[in-house]
Amino acid sequence: MTPPATTRRTDLLEWFKTITFYEILVGMKSTLSHLLHYKPVTLQYPHEKRTLPDNYRGMLALLRYDDGTEKCVGCDLCEAACPSRVIRVVSAEVPGEPTKRYSKEYYMDMTRCLFCGMCVDACPVDALGMTREFEWAVYDKRQLHLNKEQLLAIGDRSYPIREKRLELQHPNTAFFNVAFKHIPQKPE
Amino acid sequence: MTELGLRLAVSFTQIAAVTCIVIVTVLLLTLAERKVLGWMQDRMGPMEVGPYGILQPFADAIKLFFKEDIVPAGANKFLFTMAPILALIPALIGFAVIPWGPNQSLEIGSFTIKPFIISDINIGILYILAFASIGAYGIILGGWSSNSKYSLLGGLRSAAQVISYELNVGLSIVGVLIMAGSLSLVQITDAQSGWFWNWYVFAFPAPQIFALVVYVISAVAETNRVPFDLPEAESELVAGFFTEYSGLRFAFFYLAEYANMVLVSCVAAAMFLGGWNAPYPGTLIGYLGLPAFAWVENTMWFAVKTYSFLFLFFWLRATLPRLRYDQLMRFGWKVMLPIALANIVVTALAVFFHQQMK
Repeated sequence: MTPPATTRRTDLLEWFKTITFYEILVGMKSTLSHLLHYKPVTLQYPHEKRTLPDNYRGMLALLRYDDGTEKCVGCDLCEAACPSRVIRVVSAEVPGEPTKRYSKEYYMDMTRCLFCGMCVDACPVDALGMTREFEWAVYDKRQLHLNKEQLLAIGDRSYPIREKRLELQHPNTAFFNVAFKHIPQKPE
Repeated sequence: MTELGLRLAVSFTQIAAVTCIVIVTVLLLTLAERKVLGWMQDRMGPMEVGPYGILQPFADAIKLFFKEDIVPAGANKFLFTMAPILALIPALIGFAVIPWGPNQSLEIGSFTIKPFIISDINIGILYILAFASIGAYGIILGGWSSNSKYSLLGGLRSAAQVISYELNVGLSIVGVLIMAGSLSLVQITDAQSGWFWNWYVFAFPAPQIFALVVYVISAVAETNRVPFDLPEAESELVAGFFTEYSGLRFAFFYLAEYANMVLVSCVAAAMFLGGWNAPYPGTLIGYLGLPAFAWVENTMWFAVKTYSFLFLFFWLRATLPRLRYDQLMRFGWKVMLPIALANIVVTALAVFFHQQMK
């Protein structure tokens, strides 16, 4: 039984395409057209940088009020919110004002940070902010262990416009640090 | 004695000039390949060293020169050292019989020299094929002496591949040799002068178009280029036969690969596309009344033909994925070889009857 004429013709066409390298030529035409209509998508990164989106989550920073005082009230909520235990806060009373607290020491281990922004969300006084800095490659990992001064410095250079300090804002009553059984306890 | 001295001096000058040209071409190719490949893939290629990255080859050369030279533990030191040299020397030595320009003679005192060819030996093309086979030893020994499985696998693949495809290179050339009646590349090129239909790709009575296709494909395979880069398949064998090589030895292999590319392109241009002949009889500069400078145009034509083949190498690399090993073997033995053999038979018959008719 002979195959129908149409099948034979397509077979012949397939055979012709094979011996003339038709498919390879189609591919080569495609690459050549890319060469002739050369439009690179490359961004020459260190020389030109793309504009970052407004909600870019970059380096973390501690912020100040417009009079230069720290916003942070040492509530430890950021530490509780952080999923990778980046933050360590040592909270203390403001000397002479037993109702007010501040963070005596504030550490961030940025080697572990995954830039989720949950600490920023958790902060009740907007003391934390995310900047648009991202070029934080260092030769020594220990340089990513930031203390309070460094974090404030990042905030100072990234947030030139500061929030006005309200009169009623400061007597913070903080009953934070509530222990939950299902959350791993922080190391002492 | 003085004549011998003078001859030696002339030969050394020619060898130095040709080697310089080849090395410069190789430097150019390393940049051109990355640039062309980048452009074809909507990238920019190297852009950092110098304006538009044009100094990249020099940066690469300096880097390779100052790299630590590592000999792996358990390697056969002697062969490990010899292999890059065995790969590079045959690649460079083949250029001795390539005619770069017109077949002119220059009278200096009592003897004549040919300025555009180092040595017009009458077995030219055979000599190139013979040395290309020796180049395969460098790759195989380099793979074997490294004491590494990736290198060994690359070397083995290379052995099988080069043997299969060298056969096709040799057989695809036979058609041209039948028509030219000579093995000397100078005479083969001379026989293709005049209009471009005298080139052996189009020449009456037996156009060698199939032979050219077979030759180009086999040449790509022989120089271990994509899509036949199984000996150095980076996604399978790290870097194939030169996985363990570093520094200058690695540079030698790299140089050998590109020199081989230039060599097979030169041979293709000389055998099939008329070598230094322009597509029209004579030269434009000759018609303008400066026949003494006609060689400029002729060498330019040779360069254009060679570089278009080299561009084809890049183009294929940007387009095609690597063949599987069994596909490579099947393609070489079951497709390329019969075409090459049939081409020989057809060419021989055509040339025979053509001569009978005359």
